[in-house]
Amino acid sequence: MDPMEVFKIEVTGQEEFGAKKYRELIMDILQDLGLIRSIGRLYVYVDIFKPFFAVYGLLRSGIPPLTVKDVGDVLRVAGGYQIKINDEEHMADLLRVLWERYGRERVEQPARDIVIIASDTSPSGLMVADLEAEFLQDLTDALVRVAPEGFRNRRNIMTKDSFFFIAAEESLTPVMVSEIKGKIREMENA
Amino acid sequence: MLEPVMFTGGLYKHDLVVELVEDLGGYILQRNLTQTEIILLILVPSEDMALLQALAKELRGELVRAPLAGTEVAVVTPTLAIHHLPHTACDIAEYLRRHGSKTNMLGLARGVGREIAQINEYETALINEHDAAVFIFGNFQECIKKKESLYRNISVPVVVTGGPQIEAKDLPYAFEYVPAIGRVAHRARKATEIGTLDRIVDSVGRALDKTRASIAKDPLTTSPPRVMDAVREQVPDVQFSYSPLPIALNLTGVRVKLPYNAYKDAVKAVTFDEGVKLGEIATIKPSRMKDYILVRILSASETGFVF
Repeated sequence: MDPMEVFKIEVTGQEEFGAKKYRELIMDILQDLGLIRSIGRLYVYVDIFKPFFAVYGLLRSGIPPLTVKDVGDVLRVAGGYQIKINDEEHMADLLRVLWERYGRERVEQPARDIVIIASDTSPSGLMVADLEAEFLQDLTDALVRVAPEGFRNRRNIMTKDSFFFIAAEESLTPVMVSEIKGKIREMENA
Repeated sequence: MLEPVMFTGGLYKHDLVVELVEDLGGYILQRNLTQTEIILLILVPSEDMALLQALAKELRGELVRAPLAGTEVAVVTPTLAIHHLPHTACDIAEYLRRHGSKTNMLGLARGVGREIAQINEYETALINEHDAAVFIFGNFQECIKKKESLYRNISVPVVVTGGPQIEAKDLPYAFEYVPAIGRVAHRARKATEIGTLDRIVDSVGRALDKTRASIAKDPLTTSPPRVMDAVREQVPDVQFSYSPLPIALNLTGVRVKLPYNAYKDAVKAVTFDEGVKLGEIATIKPSRMKDYILVRILSASETGFVF
């Protein structure tokens, strides 16, 4: 069963095999990059004779930014605050943010998973990483990987809740883009 | 007739295998040492196979037929980007290696796309130095048909692989077409996928048999393994080549992995027991692969004798 609510793929000509294989390929790549759960609907339209490759997708609800309290427990100690790190994945980002906010001389790391800050202001609310931006970067990477390799004229329109990606061999013209948009709309309404 | 086989076993006492093969008049084509294990690619006279089998059994080694041994196959992808590698291309290359072939992977500079795909003279000449080529294409039949221009000028047999079923008449320049292995994003694991790899090996085997049959009509003056042995003996610097296989065998000659200008005369001067020099029975020219030396043995109709 597909983890997505809707996943449609349409290819011009007698290319049923290609459509089936591209479906598997897209699933494999999205799964590899851990993106599949964040995409609700996906429409893929390929015209082999023009040729171009287009993907339109609707994203599931936005991902909130990661803050200091999400990566560790913040405790008030004598002379400042202590952060006990639970998730080491974002350690480098956390230290960079703390150094920027408090200065290197006020951030101390006596143990691998302990950081002490000499300050009266709590670091709990500081943003460690913008997960949504990372997700969008990964998504762009996935789309470039999915598109056939020779299709190097690309357009990628990303909004808060959707993305629209076109890749073609020839230059993209406004006529072509509106034609593709029309096709995708037809697929959506079918 | 020489039988190509692959011996896999422990390092201990493997010298016995090497000695036996040499005593029987066979050739060691390749020796791969991996810590305590050794893989030997061997050509052995078919009437003496039983002796080698008995020794392999005694040493608890494994002896399997390697039908592609002594040949060089090019595995060609439209580029070396993530779209084509590592899965399909590496699976095919590795599978061909397991059947004894020396496999070179080749990514074209501008082989991508449908309308814009192209191959240049250098790439064509490099592929022509091999005994056969496998072109790996994708999932759309229109693209596979259109990309025929990439291998139209290649003179060695070309096995084309791709996803959909395509009639042989639609690909007139391909030796054979093997379907069901288009662009995939995972390694070949399922029985059907391994079966497809087997079909590619069979197809490459048939392509090489066709070349062998055409060589048999006008045989080479001497056999490539014999040239390899003589070069290895008389040009000792070849053992200092950094390449894992310093002398690569082809069906019509060898590629000596030494700089052309510095060693061409030494290779030409290699002399056989019959008193014939290699320069007299073969053309020695620069290979398209790096700065190597390409030796192409002349046929009996050109030299007038066979030894």
